[in-house]
Amino acid sequence: MSQGSVAGERLPAAVLTVDRRRARRRAAWRRRGLVLLFLSPWLVGFTLFFAYPLVTSAYLSFNHYDLLSPPRWVGWANYHYLFREDPQVWTAVKNTLWLIVVLVPLQVLFAFGLAVMVTRAKMGVGVFRTVFYLPALAPPVAATLGFVYILNPVTGPVNVILSHLGIQGPLWFQDPHWSKPSLVGLGLWGVGTVMVIFLAAVLDVPRQLYESSELDGAGAWARLRWVTLPTISPVLLFAVVLGVIQALQYFTQAYVAAGVASGQASQAADVTSVSLGYPLDSTLFYPVLLYQHGFTDFQMGYASAMAMLLLGVSFAVTLVIIVNSRKWVHYGGATR
Amino acid sequence: MTSATATPDAATFVRRKPPRAVRRRRFLVTVADHSILIAAGIMFLAPFIFITLTALMSNDQALSARLWPHPFEWSNFADVFTKAPFMTWVGNTLEYSILATIGVVVSSVPVAYAFAKLHWRGRDAVFIVVLVALMLPPQVTVVPLYVMWAKFHPFGFNFIGTLWPVIIPNWFGDAFSIFLLRQFFLTIPDEYLDAARVDGCGEVKILVTVVARLAKPAIAAVALFSFLYTFNDFFLPLLYTGENSGHWVLSIGLSEFRSLHQVQWNLTMAATLLVMAPVIVVFFLAQKAFVEGVTLTGVKG
Amino acid sequence: MRRMRWAAVLACVVVVGASSAAGSDAAPAAPTKLTIWVGWSARELGVFKQVVAEYDKNNPNVTVNVVGSINDNKIVAAIRAGTAPDVVSSFNSYNVGTYCGSGGWINLAPLMAQSHISASMFPPATRYYTQYNGVRCALPLLADTYGLYYNKDLFAKAGIKSPPKTMSELAADAKKLTVRSSSGKISVAGFDPFIGFYENTPERWITSFGGKWQDAKGNAILAQDPAWSKWLNWHKSLVDWYGYSNLVKFQAGLGDEFSASNAFEAGKLAMNFDGEWRVAFIQAEHPNLNYATAPMPVDDAHPELYGQGYINGTIIGIPKGGKNQAAAWDLVKYLTTNSHALAELSNGLRNVPTTTASGRSPEIKPDVHFSTFIKIFNNMHSTTSPITAAGVSYTNLVQQFATKWQAGQVKNLQAGLTQLDKQLDALVNQAKGPGVP
Repeated sequence: MSQGSVAGERLPAAVLTVDRRRARRRAAWRRRGLVLLFLSPWLVGFTLFFAYPLVTSAYLSFNHYDLLSPPRWVGWANYHYLFREDPQVWTAVKNTLWLIVVLVPLQVLFAFGLAVMVTRAKMGVGVFRTVFYLPALAPPVAATLGFVYILNPVTGPVNVILSHLGIQGPLWFQDPHWSKPSLVGLGLWGVGTVMVIFLAAVLDVPRQLYESSELDGAGAWARLRWVTLPTISPVLLFAVVLGVIQALQYFTQAYVAAGVASGQASQAADVTSVSLGYPLDSTLFYPVLLYQHGFTDFQMGYASAMAMLLLGVSFAVTLVIIVNSRKWVHYGGATR
Repeated sequence: MTSATATPDAATFVRRKPPRAVRRRRFLVTVADHSILIAAGIMFLAPFIFITLTALMSNDQALSARLWPHPFEWSNFADVFTKAPFMTWVGNTLEYSILATIGVVVSSVPVAYAFAKLHWRGRDAVFIVVLVALMLPPQVTVVPLYVMWAKFHPFGFNFIGTLWPVIIPNWFGDAFSIFLLRQFFLTIPDEYLDAARVDGCGEVKILVTVVARLAKPAIAAVALFSFLYTFNDFFLPLLYTGENSGHWVLSIGLSEFRSLHQVQWNLTMAATLLVMAPVIVVFFLAQKAFVEGVTLTGVKG
Repeated sequence: MRRMRWAAVLACVVVVGASSAAGSDAAPAAPTKLTIWVGWSARELGVFKQVVAEYDKNNPNVTVNVVGSINDNKIVAAIRAGTAPDVVSSFNSYNVGTYCGSGGWINLAPLMAQSHISASMFPPATRYYTQYNGVRCALPLLADTYGLYYNKDLFAKAGIKSPPKTMSELAADAKKLTVRSSSGKISVAGFDPFIGFYENTPERWITSFGGKWQDAKGNAILAQDPAWSKWLNWHKSLVDWYGYSNLVKFQAGLGDEFSASNAFEAGKLAMNFDGEWRVAFIQAEHPNLNYATAPMPVDDAHPELYGQGYINGTIIGIPKGGKNQAAAWDLVKYLTTNSHALAELSNGLRNVPTTTASGRSPEIKPDVHFSTFIKIFNNMHSTTSPITAAGVSYTNLVQQFATKWQAGQVKNLQAGLTQLDKQLDALVNQAKGPGVP
């Protein structure tokens, strides 16, 4: 029987009369009922929209299911195709891992760098903060469309300006070597949210720490390295985990950019599955491939198998980061 | 502050101007800092400027390498509304965002309270489960959820093709909002709650009157984030309404804009601006709440 | 859209009541509301609606509601959700394998037998892409054939008298007609062969080389059939002549394929590989364009193939779960076999009519540009792409390989094609699910 902190002092059991005991039991049940009531939205939602689909996903991954006819048990066939025969899966996995290894650190560093720069500004801090935050508000579809247009190799302003400067601009979204970096550019443009978080965190670093390190003779870089970074390391961890979660779900920007850049705006050529990953599968990320197999190729069983793999990888990556974080994250204060 | 080892001049210490060399170096550093910031600021604003310029061009100009519109086609913005069912999209987006936001707030507050201020066995373990749900990509559960909605026909109503499958889950708590609210609730001193309990208030009453009022900034932040997130949502609406253009939200409509009636880049950019505008306007109106909310997310996280 | 949907719901309620009263499989007696989904939009949709309006007039007990801009994803989503309309039509025949195999579109054979419609009314190629494994769940509704469009003014300027008939002539003419700067920047391209550009896809090209996709058992034979490597090598040499990135840059600055700024219509492309519908588009958008049409050139080693082309077309069928199947079949029958309807659609859309009878109909408006395509359609060497359980992914996989090849990412063509064959076979097995023959 749980002893809540709601109501009542504790009395030794011998002093309690039967009535008292019954009353306390009733109170405890009421407490439990209350907790359940308060938790009910989440409990129902979790079961309906998370636990049940997860279990069903696992089940469907062993079936052949196109939703037009009932599921047919096929054992390991989907996984066999996934690991051995799907010509695009490993490209998709590599692309998503690329995001985790390249885009996330760049975003975190860039956001942190911007935040530090803003703290060093003497005038117009509010203006700078607003300017850096604004692009993060832009809806991803709008931002992607804008970038695809701006980075059009022939008519886009970026290459036009570069050509005035005598530089032959790359083909950006039309070049398989530049399409992911273009997406990185898009991602860096939108670091505003993370930057503001870092800004608040950096401003929260107690002055005494800076002052005492200055007295020890630390220059600006050293202060950054030994005071700022360790103190805000929990926020760094937060930003990294957030970035990794987003990288594992990365869909919208890739889908829109590939579709528009490949010029598949025509309706007769509604072969969208060819444009996904344009150009040459360089923007084919795992969630995009999953969507293609599940929702344009009628392969829901196979898509469920892909989902199971994604689940495993998400768990593994998040675990690795969090376990690794114990080495460099300091809660509540700086080193030295 | 007194100190036994004060320097002899402590009482008469006067701040002198640092030597000229140091002042000049500091000035140059400041100039360098601000130059970098200004350059970065220009880079950040540039895309907006380019998009606006293109939105004002004629179609042929948008297809050419020209940077400055000549003449300014202000009618492009009006054309967006006539060439595509823009208002329908706006309506659908607002319906989704508003209903979802209300749902998130109403359902997440009690849950967060239960994690923060009620004590029960296994509370922290279950909270970790909430967080774990946060970390999983939606693609993991998307296939069975779609099947579930496709097979569910109460009174012959079809959910696929409508926005309901996207709206309804928000009424059952959102992990991120629960997390944020819980962190904030934890900072509410227990004395307030105990005082109310002593007065005879039930927990529900406490939640509604005391906590809700104290946690207004956090709730506002949650509402703001929910609204923003649902306003920008693309994947889930694509899944459920992608084939039913009458229910498209702005993000889907915008991505399909170029293929509707063979519309061109200039109008697409005008539409892009129109989609970005409301969010930016809301930001300027609610700047304080925004920044506070973002700060809450990270620092209390 | 919402209003239409509520109207459809109401109509369905009425119809359920009415058809349960009618009951027989003769033409329904009570007023019925049918919904038909088609892929056309804008101007073309208007043409289709006109033909349907005629049917409405002649059949006062039926009203037909036409919805345009449909694609296969929408059709499948609707069938899955149980909200499919009475009649559905698709621009692509690729997914016939899935539609027929899963029963998503009903088997039309019994209905055809009842109405004395024989499959031989339709030319062989169209019969192939409307059935799968012996189950006919679709009928052809106008076909598309592909040929060469060329700009006569640009030809005259370059001194070319007649359109190319072989691939080497095509390459030579393309080079002559191209206007480019010394740095390689293309201002006018003689011919853009880039896979993925406009209508350039492997299945439309390979017919000119007489290439086969599958052997009798259904296994992919792209590595064994020499036509494929011949085509890919010819193709890459032309792409390399232009320069891969030069072509990409050229294409990035072009107008949308289905807009009035289409590169051929705008004079930026001297020759273009396009479908027969382009004739109607040019007439509507650039009537003063001085152009002509001809069959696509063919492999130098196979001059007998000249005159053939790639055929595919719109297919039409009845989704399962529909409530007005008798009325739906009546409409389908009219649209697919009535020579007058087909002639009208053909005139308006400039698509090829799909019954042998309608092809000879005097109602077809004579058009010298368009008649090329009717001839291509009736040429005995014209073929279509394979129908498999994998649907459009089959040809897409080949297209992805071809784009990698043209980008220079495939070092050994023969090895690449062998691997492609294996992937194609695995893809079909995966799509069917193991344990299915």
